[in-house]
Amino acid sequence: MLQSGLVKYLRDGKGFEGTLIVAAVLYLLVFAAFPLIYTVVMSFQEVDMFTLGTLVRPFAGLTNYTDLFHRPEFAPIVWNTMIFVTLSIAFQLTIGFALALFFLQDFPGSTYVRGLFLAGWILPALVVGAVWRWIFAGDFGVLNYALQSLGLIDGQIYWLSDPAYALYSVIIANIWLGIPFNMILLSVGLAGIPGDVYEAAEMDGANVIQRFLTITLPMMGPTLGAVVALGVIFTLQQFDLVAALTQGGPANASNVAQYWSWQMSFQTYEISGGATVATMMIALVIVVAVIYVRSVQREQSF
Amino acid sequence: MKRYLLLAFALLFAAIYLFPVYWMYATALKTSGSIFKYPPELWPSEPLVQVSRVFAEHDIGRYLWNSLLVASGITAITMLLGTGAAYALANARGAKANVALFLVIVLQVLPPSLMVTPLFVAFNHVGLLDYPRTAVVLATAAKTLAFYIVLCRATFTQVPRELKDAALVDGNSHLGAFFLIILPLARNGILITSVLVFLQSFGEYVYSRSFIATRELQTATVNLATYLSANSADWVGLMNYAGIYVAPILIVFILLQRQIVTGLTSGALK
Amino acid sequence: MNQIEIEHLNKNYGSLQALHDISLDIPVGAFVALVGPSGCGKSTLLRTIAGLETITSGTIRVAGEVVNDKAPRERDLAMVFQSYALYPHMTVEQNMSYSLRLRRRPKAEIDERVGEAARILGLEKLLKRRPKQLSGGQRQRVAMGRAIVRKPKVFLFDEPLSNLDAALRVQMRSEIRKLHKNLGATSVYVTHDQIEAMTMADLIVVLHDGRIEQIGRPLDLYRRPANRFVAGFIGSPAMNFVPAEVTADGRTIAIGTGTLLKIPRAQEPGRKVLAGLRPEHLRLDGSGERLTATVDIIEGTGSMTFIEARIGSDLLNVAYAGTYETEAGAPLTLGIASDDIYLFDPETGRAL
Repeated sequence: MLQSGLVKYLRDGKGFEGTLIVAAVLYLLVFAAFPLIYTVVMSFQEVDMFTLGTLVRPFAGLTNYTDLFHRPEFAPIVWNTMIFVTLSIAFQLTIGFALALFFLQDFPGSTYVRGLFLAGWILPALVVGAVWRWIFAGDFGVLNYALQSLGLIDGQIYWLSDPAYALYSVIIANIWLGIPFNMILLSVGLAGIPGDVYEAAEMDGANVIQRFLTITLPMMGPTLGAVVALGVIFTLQQFDLVAALTQGGPANASNVAQYWSWQMSFQTYEISGGATVATMMIALVIVVAVIYVRSVQREQSF
Repeated sequence: MKRYLLLAFALLFAAIYLFPVYWMYATALKTSGSIFKYPPELWPSEPLVQVSRVFAEHDIGRYLWNSLLVASGITAITMLLGTGAAYALANARGAKANVALFLVIVLQVLPPSLMVTPLFVAFNHVGLLDYPRTAVVLATAAKTLAFYIVLCRATFTQVPRELKDAALVDGNSHLGAFFLIILPLARNGILITSVLVFLQSFGEYVYSRSFIATRELQTATVNLATYLSANSADWVGLMNYAGIYVAPILIVFILLQRQIVTGLTSGALK
Repeated sequence: MNQIEIEHLNKNYGSLQALHDISLDIPVGAFVALVGPSGCGKSTLLRTIAGLETITSGTIRVAGEVVNDKAPRERDLAMVFQSYALYPHMTVEQNMSYSLRLRRRPKAEIDERVGEAARILGLEKLLKRRPKQLSGGQRQRVAMGRAIVRKPKVFLFDEPLSNLDAALRVQMRSEIRKLHKNLGATSVYVTHDQIEAMTMADLIVVLHDGRIEQIGRPLDLYRRPANRFVAGFIGSPAMNFVPAEVTADGRTIAIGTGTLLKIPRAQEPGRKVLAGLRPEHLRLDGSGERLTATVDIIEGTGSMTFIEARIGSDLLNVAYAGTYETEAGAPLTLGIASDDIYLFDPETGRAL
C-alpha cells in the first residue's frame, strides 16, 4: 500500500518533478557545493602531504591567510589578475560590440559569417593556447613578422619569455577566445531593440552617432551589464591558456590567481595555500554571479 | 552593391579572426625545415601530409580514445540528470524552485582550477583517484550539468504548458507526458546542448591534468600539453597533433553551426 | 442526478486565495457555463475539476465518486483548451487517437471512433496533416475531435473560442451546442463572454473574485440578478446604475434631478438605493415611468441606435432597436416600465 502510494506520488503527483530536481541538485551538492565548503574548511587547516590522508587536521586559524599575504609573489599576482581581467574584458567587449554592430547590418550571409566566429569559442582553450604559442614564437613567429611588416616594431619581441610581455600575450589570446561569446550575446541584445525606435530618432533629427549614444547604449545597458559579469566569471575561469602559454612564468610575470592556486596545490604541494587562494577567488566569483543573476532577473521582470 | 561590400568586409574580419586556425593547419603541412624560414611562408610551398606519421609517433589514438571516453561519460551523466531537472525547473514556480535555480546558476560559474584542490583531496580520501577517468567524469559533470540545465530549461520553457495539461487529461501520467509529449518537442534543443557539452568535455584539461597520473590514461589535452612543454621546437608535430585533435570538433561545428548559434543565443542570457 | 458535485471547495496559492468556498452541483447532461471577468477564478475552478490543480480543501465528486486525489487520467474527463494544445509532432489523426492509444483500445475501435469524430467535425480530408498546416478554425475542430473520440463522462471547455475571429466564433457556438445535444454528455464551459454563456448554456455560474455570485438559467440571471455585479455583467450593453432615494410613501424613488419613478415593490421610506435600468428597457416614446434627458452622444448602426443621454449628473445608455435620428444636445423623453426597474443596496450590492 505504502509502495503503491509512492509509485503514484512519483507518477502523478508533485513528486515526479520534485524528484528530478532533487536528483540533479543532490549531484551538484556532492560534487560542487561540498568541495566549495571543503575548500573554505581547508583554508583554515594545516594541509600538506602528511595530513592529506587524514580527516582531522590541525586547525590553523588565520595563519594560512596571513602567510599568503606575506608572500613576495602575492601582490604581483593580485595585480596581474586585475590587469588580466580588466584588459581582457575591455577588449573582448569593445571588439565584440563593434562586430555585433557590424553584423547587425543587412547583407547576404551575415548570420552565417557571424556564426563562423564561434569556432573560436568552441575550440579547447588548451589547443588555442598551443597555436598562439606558435604564433607568439620569438624568432620565427608570425606575429613578430606581421608587426615588423607593418613597421610597428623593429627587433623581435620574445612574447612569452620576456617578463614585460608575457602577461599581455596571455591576455591577447584570451581576448581572441572571448570575442565570439561577447559578440553573440550583444547581437541578441541589439536585435531586441525595436527598429521603429531608431526610425523615430531619425525623424527627430538624430544622426548615426547620436542614435548610438542616445538609443543603442542606454537600451543595451542591462545586456552590457550581464555580458561584463559573465566576462569576469569566464576570465577568472581561464586556466588552460596560462598552462599552454607561459605556466605563469617567467618568474610569475604572467601568473594569475586561478593558476597560482592550482600550482600551490599540485606542483609545490602547499595545499592549504592553494585552498586559501581558491577560497578568496570563489568568494569573488560568487559575488559577481549573484550580481549577475539579480540583474538578469530584474531585467526579466520588466 | 553596398551589401556586397559589407559582405567582403565581413569575410575579411572572419579571415583575420580565424587566422590562428588557418595557421595551425598551414604549419601542419610544412616540412620541419621550412617552418623556420623567416619571413614565414604564409602558404606551405611544398605541402607535406604528415598526419599519419604524427598520429602513430605520438600514439594519438590512445589519448583521443581516453578523451572520447571521458567526454561520453560526462555527456551521459549530464543528460541523464540534467534533462529532467531542466524540465522540472522550467515548470516550477515558487521559492524552492527559485533557490534550486539560483544554486544551479551559481555552481555553474565556479572555476574548475579552484575546485580541483578540494575535489582532489576528497577523491583521494574515498579512493576515487584509483579510477582517475571516472574521477574526471564525475567532477566535470558537476560543471557541465549546471550549464546544461540552464540552456535546456530555456528550451523547455518554449514548450507551451497547456500541452502537458492536454496530455494529462488525455490519460498520461506526469512521467508519460514528459516522455511522450514534452521530450519529443524539446528534442532539438536537448541534442544541441548535449553536443555543446560533449565538445566542451572533449577539450577538458584541468581535472584530467590533476587527477590522471598514469600516462596511458591521459586525455589528449593533457598529452598535448606535456608534448608542448617537452618538445617546444617541434611545431610541425604539435600543429599536426592540434589539428587532428580539433578536426572532429570543427566538423561538428560546421555541420551544426546554425543550430549551435540559435541554441546559445536563446538560452544564454536567461 | 448530478454528474459533478463540488462542496466547500477552497484553493489557495500560498497566501492568495483563488477560490472561496465554492459549492456547485452540475446535473447529468447539463451544459454549464462558468462566466466572469478575467482573474475571477473560473479557469482555476475548471482546472480543479480536471485534476490539473490540487485543491486546498473541500470535495469534488464525479459521478458520485470523490476524485480529490485522483490524477487527471483517472477522472474520465476530456478538455478543450484555449490554445487548443494540439501536439505539434503528431498528425490530426494521431492527435485525436492519442488518448485511445494510451488506453490501449483495439485498432479497429480507434479507427472507427476517429473516423466518426472526423465526419461529425468535417475533418476527414485533414487527418494526415500536422497542426501547423491547419487554420485556426480547423485546429479548434481538431481540439474538439480529440475530446469527442473519448466519449467521456464530462467535457471541459476552457475558453475554446476566444482565439477565433468573430464570424467563426458565432458559427462554432451553435456547432458546439448541437454537438452537445447529440452527444448528451455533461459539459462545463468557461468563458469571459457573457453572450457566449447566455446563448449556449442551460445553467450559468457567475464568478467574481473567486466566489460564486449567482447560479441560474440564463434568462433567470437576466431577469432576476441576485446582486449588482450579476446585473451589470449579464446583458449587453451593460445595465445603467443611478443613485436614488425611496420617497416617503415607499412606492416611488427619486433620482438625482428629483424625477419620481414608481417601483415594482414597496421599500423602506427614505432608504438610499441604486436603481438599475437596462438600456434596452428605456423607450424613446416616453411611455411608462417618464424621464427627461438630453442627448450627449448618438451612434446608429441602422438596425440599432445607441444613445448616451444625460439626466442631471447621471448618464444613461439607451439601446433602441431601429433607426432614430436626433442630434447631440437635443431633448429626449425616455420611458420605462415600472416592472423593469431594479433596485440594489448601494453598500452590499444585493438586489432589493
